[in-house]
Amino acid sequence: MSEEFDFDVAIVGAGPAGISAALILAKAGIETVVLERGQYSGAKNVSGAALYGPILNELIPNYWEDENSFERYLTTKKITLLSESKSVTIDADLRNFNQVPYNGVTVIRPKFDRWLADKAEEAGAMILPDTMVEDLVWNDKQIIGVKSGDEVLKANLVIIAEGANSMLVEKAKLAKKPKPRHYALGMKETYKLPKKKIEERFHLDDNEGMSNEIIGYSKGIPGGGFYYTNQDTVSFGLILNMAVLTKKKLKAPEVFEEFKEHSYIKKLLKDAEMIEYSAHTIPKGGFKHMPKLYGNGVLVVGDAAGMVLNAGLYIEGINFALESGKVAGEAAIEILQTNNYTKKQTKIYKKKLKESFAYKDLKTFKRASHFLDNRMMFTYVPDLLTGLFEKLLRNNGYPRKRIVTSAIGYVFKKGNLFGLLKLLIGAVRSL
Amino acid sequence: MSKSNKPKTLEEKLDLTKITTDHNYAHIEINPEICKAKCTTYDCVYGCPADCYKFTEGEEAEGPVVFDYVACLECSACRLVCPHGSVDWKYPKGGFGVEFKHS
Repeated sequence: MSEEFDFDVAIVGAGPAGISAALILAKAGIETVVLERGQYSGAKNVSGAALYGPILNELIPNYWEDENSFERYLTTKKITLLSESKSVTIDADLRNFNQVPYNGVTVIRPKFDRWLADKAEEAGAMILPDTMVEDLVWNDKQIIGVKSGDEVLKANLVIIAEGANSMLVEKAKLAKKPKPRHYALGMKETYKLPKKKIEERFHLDDNEGMSNEIIGYSKGIPGGGFYYTNQDTVSFGLILNMAVLTKKKLKAPEVFEEFKEHSYIKKLLKDAEMIEYSAHTIPKGGFKHMPKLYGNGVLVVGDAAGMVLNAGLYIEGINFALESGKVAGEAAIEILQTNNYTKKQTKIYKKKLKESFAYKDLKTFKRASHFLDNRMMFTYVPDLLTGLFEKLLRNNGYPRKRIVTSAIGYVFKKGNLFGLLKLLIGAVRSL
Repeated sequence: MSKSNKPKTLEEKLDLTKITTDHNYAHIEINPEICKAKCTTYDCVYGCPADCYKFTEGEEAEGPVVFDYVACLECSACRLVCPHGSVDWKYPKGGFGVEFKHS
């Protein structure tokens, strides 16, 4: 570190991406500060929330030995399609996911983020809560620090880990203001539900967890519901495409309330007591709408880098945040050794990131986000499937037709075969 | 029947969220002149999850929409949906605003 700088690296945002970078840097003995606008790490953060065990294990080996780290390990995944009064659910019960490091675990963000931040602090990083970074400090075309109120903090390298809606990414001239169609609005309610009840309701053993993605019954607005089990709370919410929501002139909180009127949702929330309401925007543009990931004196990680995957079966942000933070930390170590912080060197980060699963997944599913905005997915398809099951299973005293004949007849009767074909081709191309 | 079966109003839901209001600093401000001159869609009213944007009642109002930052959940939806740049959006100062505990 040269004399005029306060720190080697200043990280804006103490979420999973920022903390993951801080942890790698602090462990390498690099002077690192993390500036967090919240009262503590995670105070401003909203998620489903689940993450991959193997990724967390790489960062914090044997994380599961600390009971504060996670809520439940996921063994059941459900995908539900809702139509007006019906639902169809695929229920994948995968008990072999009960082995450490666990395939996936649920977390409560204010708790998890704080736990992770403590690990970075133990490793030697400095974390400053209650600190809002309003601006960047420039020396000509080079970013050399951050500004909070009247305070200026100089650093060789700045890592923007500000989360979704990153004002600093725009100030760093790495992206323009995003378009609403590339963002979704997530509303979430956390409910208290006794541990025993959670386990009975979803046929779970001690500490096993269930996650449920719910498609349809959202007024035809692309998006979907989610439901995750924690120890003695459940996380429930609805994600909506903002451009379609406003175009339809529907109020977000009212769409959420009406979604909860569905009998399937009512059963999920029975006897549960709401304890918190939260909301956040989600960058969902995917691979094609990520900002520039590096600049002179700056790297971008996590949601701020638009690293969120929406591919239906996979909806992920925290994993990519952890991974991109880790890669940025490793890249920063190399960049610091060169003592050159221009784009010529900071591009090491992108080069390394391209090798990571996070970047590769985003690339693999680069068409998925657009495909999943197809409105047929949210009304036509749930109606078709629930209606088909009803038709096949209804007993009305007439002799049955063969199942295949009956099914084909039903699909033809529902019409829009061209749309359905287009949807199937889209699915093959993008998923 | 437990009381939780009765749906909560948005006000009751927002009461559950801890928010430390900075009475000296409105982190979001709208420009009623722009709203009045340009807006016909009022996307902020529909996009806000906390109902911070409301249609103006009465004729004395400066613009078609009124905004109050007190219940803001800091989600940024209004900034993104406003097509006219009328929403001057900043985060609250350090330590102020929402403080999620279970999300």
